[in-house]
Amino acid sequence: MLNLTEIQPILFMILSAVTVGSALLVVLNKNPVASAIFLVLTFFSLAGIYALMNAIFIATMQVLVYAGAIMVLVVFVLMLLNLREETHQEIWSNPTKKTVIVLIVIAYSFLLLVSLKATKDSDPTVITNITSPNYEYKLSDSAESKVTVTGNTAAVGASTFIDYLLPFEIISILLLVAVIGAVIIAKKDAVKKG
Amino acid sequence: MQTYISGIPLNYYLSLAGILFSIGVLGVLTRRNAVIIFMAVELMLNSVNLVFIAFSKVLSIINGEVIVFFVMAIAAAEAGVGLAIVIAIHRQKKTSNVDEINLLKW
Repeated sequence: MLNLTEIQPILFMILSAVTVGSALLVVLNKNPVASAIFLVLTFFSLAGIYALMNAIFIATMQVLVYAGAIMVLVVFVLMLLNLREETHQEIWSNPTKKTVIVLIVIAYSFLLLVSLKATKDSDPTVITNITSPNYEYKLSDSAESKVTVTGNTAAVGASTFIDYLLPFEIISILLLVAVIGAVIIAKKDAVKKG
Repeated sequence: MQTYISGIPLNYYLSLAGILFSIGVLGVLTRRNAVIIFMAVELMLNSVNLVFIAFSKVLSIINGEVIVFFVMAIAAAEAGVGLAIVIAIHRQKKTSNVDEINLLKW
């Protein structure tokens, strides 16, 4: 059985090379839709790097929020604006190209999965105001009460809802304001003639 | 002093973040399409997220990952409002190139 922690540098090199390459393609590509696709590839590679750093929660959020929600929004706007180039490349009608692309996607998904498995599960995640190495989380104002967490996601959650509760609630109001503002700005009646 | 995260030196993460940020700046400065500029801004935000997580892991403090979570929420809000503005301007000016938009020029 191959020890997965030994191939971490190789995984990091591959993932960072793909990140930089696809980021360059985002900037240099003429076709906006291709730029969006390469940006999705960049986000997936960054999620792999986050998983390699044992930041599992952030890696999941990267895939869900960035590669999922935000990129759907971007591609949707590109569709509305009709920005794609006139010369439409017939990639999907060519069976060889289609097979190669599908194989690359499968191999890359496997690489991301390996980078997820390559982190040590028992990597100690120390949080602020730690009282013992056993992941105990003490509330900042009352020294008696403690929250015990194990794992990266639980640590992020505890820190969010204990140390950063007020910013978290303000963020929720900000998102509400952004939703209402986006609807009002993009509404047809908002643009008055003249 | 060299600190390692998962067997990889911290400097590598910081170099990768710097390269990504530079690519994002390049995109903002050279492209004219507002949506592409928006994507380059997202690249810059992601490079900063990488720095946050790297130092969070090196210093063994979880706060950096919480900040990254907030950055993602703000990026989502920014995406909604920014793309709505792009749609509104495209509806009025029939273009999304930032050098052709001079609505505030007096």
